Amino acid sequence: MVFSPILLSIEVAVCATSVSFVLGLFIAKQVVKLRRLKSLVDGILTLPLVLPPTVVGFFLLLTFGRNGLLGDMLAAMDVSVVFTLAGAIIAATVVSFPLMYRSARGAFEQFDRDLIYAGRTIGMSETKIFWRVIMPGCKPGIISGLVLTFARALGEFGATIMLAGNIPGKTQTMSLAIYSAVASGNREKAYMWVAIIMLISFTCMFLMNIFAARTRKSVKAGAAAGSIIKDEKSLPEGTAIL
Amino acid sequence: MTLSVDIRKKLGKFTLDVRFETAGGILALLGASGSGKSMTLKCIAGIETPDEGRIELDGLTLFDSEKRVNLPTRERKVGYLFQHYALFPNMTALENVMAAVSGSKAEKRRIAEERLKSMYLLDSKDKYPAQISGGQQQRVALARMLVREPNIIMLDEPLSALDSYLKWQLEMELVDIFRGFDKPVVYVTHNRNEVYRVSDDVCVLENGASEPVVSTHELFLAPRTLAAALISGCKNFSRARRTGPRSVFAVDWGVELVTEAPVPGDVQYLGVRSHAIKAVGAELNRAGKPADAASGDPGNRGAANAPLPATNVLSCRVGKVVREMFSVIAMVRPEESEPASDFARIRVKMINDKWAALGEPVPPGRIHIRIDPAEILLLK
Amino acid sequence: MKMKKIGLLCISLILVVSLGLAACEIKNSDEMGSDKDEKAKTEKTVELNVLAAASMTDVLNELGETYKATHKDVKLNFSYGSSGALQTQIEEGAPADIFISAGAKQMDALAEKNLIAADTRKDLLGNDVVLVTPKDSKLGLTSFEDVASDKVKRVAVGGENVPVGQYTQQVFEYYKVWDKIKAKASLGEDVRQVLSWVESGDADCGIVYKTDALTTDKVTVAAAAAADTHKPVLYPEAVVAASKNQDAAKEFLEFLSSPEAKAVFEKAGFTVL
Repeated sequence: MVFSPILLSIEVAVCATSVSFVLGLFIAKQVVKLRRLKSLVDGILTLPLVLPPTVVGFFLLLTFGRNGLLGDMLAAMDVSVVFTLAGAIIAATVVSFPLMYRSARGAFEQFDRDLIYAGRTIGMSETKIFWRVIMPGCKPGIISGLVLTFARALGEFGATIMLAGNIPGKTQTMSLAIYSAVASGNREKAYMWVAIIMLISFTCMFLMNIFAARTRKSVKAGAAAGSIIKDEKSLPEGTAIL
Repeated sequence: MTLSVDIRKKLGKFTLDVRFETAGGILALLGASGSGKSMTLKCIAGIETPDEGRIELDGLTLFDSEKRVNLPTRERKVGYLFQHYALFPNMTALENVMAAVSGSKAEKRRIAEERLKSMYLLDSKDKYPAQISGGQQQRVALARMLVREPNIIMLDEPLSALDSYLKWQLEMELVDIFRGFDKPVVYVTHNRNEVYRVSDDVCVLENGASEPVVSTHELFLAPRTLAAALISGCKNFSRARRTGPRSVFAVDWGVELVTEAPVPGDVQYLGVRSHAIKAVGAELNRAGKPADAASGDPGNRGAANAPLPATNVLSCRVGKVVREMFSVIAMVRPEESEPASDFARIRVKMINDKWAALGEPVPPGRIHIRIDPAEILLLK
Repeated sequence: MKMKKIGLLCISLILVVSLGLAACEIKNSDEMGSDKDEKAKTEKTVELNVLAAASMTDVLNELGETYKATHKDVKLNFSYGSSGALQTQIEEGAPADIFISAGAKQMDALAEKNLIAADTRKDLLGNDVVLVTPKDSKLGLTSFEDVASDKVKRVAVGGENVPVGQYTQQVFEYYKVWDKIKAKASLGEDVRQVLSWVESGDADCGIVYKTDALTTDKVTVAAAAAADTHKPVLYPEAVVAASKNQDAAKEFLEFLSSPEAKAVFEKAGFTVL
């Protein structure tokens, strides 16, 4: 129970990152295809990153509260988001989503379109092109997006406390535990949580960065395929007869 | 096996309006960058969609705006070699080729390996594109393209990324592959030398509009339009007016020229390739004929004084001189030319010795040039 | 090839872990649900969401533990935040049962909109406004008027929008030294910040609540403001009107006024009203 904020934080961050990952990739893919309204849609999707988290939390509360549109529908199904773990995950997802979305979008936009076209001319299905050509090529960008998303979700505070409250053992993540400890004058506890959250964040970032660096290296080696290596001995003897 | 293309597409201020047909052999789409060559290929491949028109390949309608037909790329059976080959960097050579084959994994592998073997690539099959040479990359891309047995091969400036040494070998390889392919080949390039060496027919594209398909021979030896002549490498032009069955007045140069070929009534321009222009001397001799410096030996006055036909001789002022390793290029301006005319500059190229024989005139020195009547291109 | 496998492994690991956790969560709530069902057979279990000012975290957690021992049928969920945020949550229909505010203002706002059960409202606690100095302070301050003297270079007080700041102003205005104080005041974002400045010695003294002063041994309480120098610092409590557990909520409020609870509150420095 004492360490429940660690579990809750990790749970919230992992769930939020997973949801942001899937949604971010999917939506980024759609937005890249847009011709009109692109900047408008992009602006709306990036808004949670720009707004103060408390404001985001307030909007979420407006939406999911009993007076809100979604909250009303959910209440009819006997589902409550406010003051629940689901609320914490939703808050962390909404706030961290733009980081995943923007990273993925950047990666997709920079991706060499000729590779996609080449996939089509040789008869690959769109699904196959996405998973076997686009995704491997966009891996570095997507991974750095994941790192950022996870970090943001792990540290989320403002929107979470607004939507999910700050209920120990239920929705109190590490960030909220630090807030509570400071607010009630419990310094030692606050320091402890700060140390733990830093340790966890550092470990995660460290591991992900190592992984990202390795991936980048391998993709970089592959990307050099575009530039030509001059190798005079490359032609086998047979071709000289041509 | 025919490809017929008749499409239009508007892209901002640029309008693509292309019409051509090829029954086989190698058709080059020749044009400067931005002339719509690649866009045409992309329309044929189904990567881009034209606004209107028809594309038919081997009796199959790939695109028809009226009948609302627009086959997706993967059903068009087209082979497309991209400028930088577009090999998947995360796959080995073998995996790249396998990606184009359908069937069970074992079957894919067998077919792909066979194809790589026929292209002398079996040793590199497990290497990534970044680990093999440009030539090998091109062959992997060709293998990936050919393994699907396409009904057409399209190549987008395949040699432009290579340095000249590799270019020759790869070009020869490409031609060899084309010759063994009995279906249409469409080859996009901006390099007319490549066209001359590689293609059977040429379709010139100018600002998105296509000219009629002509044989490569015709384009280079007898271009019929100003654009075609320009693209075939001709550098000297003048507006022209017919003055007789075999004579024409070069408006910009202010001189009447005699031609070997009959002059059509609707002639608008004439063009002369640099190699058909000879410098004949610095001063006219007493008979009003130029002293020929072409003999190259200043001591031999007899040869210099030999009578020469004064036809097609222009008196010019030297404008700019560019020295190259073995030759000199002089930009000269006919003395009778219209001063404001853009076409009034004539490019004369000669070997260093000859330039020396002319006394190495410096601007605005005078020289005389003669234009070979057999080499005058009469253009529309 | 190797990298690809590692990448796939990592991604699938993340997904598996997250799914696992999510599944655990669902299972947990299922267990809780079945728990509930079982209990429902014998006795009815209610969950109370208590929204309370963040400064009451420790006392309420302690009291919650005590209450749980005697009321097994009640599950208390305390959610701590700033009184303003809690007010917003109740206004937006968050499923709250009890509201304990650190100021009358927020409670008044809710009462105006009939969002709290008026008959359940009660001023639960009071707090003192105190002058604190760093533990090793050699200035020898003993009263609020001393703060005006020139030996005090910097005073930490709450800003205009912070409740403790408003009380501070009232106290100094009562002693007619506010102008002098204002000139050397550092304005904190909240009472915690004011306290930190005094703890670290950056400020010669500061004005905080008594309960805050008692949470640290790095400051000394030099003086407490007399009751007539400022408006009373009140912690009102009430049952939320929309609560479906009115009776259980009232019962918990009664417990908060019990002698047992009083001892806990007083230990923390609150005045029980």
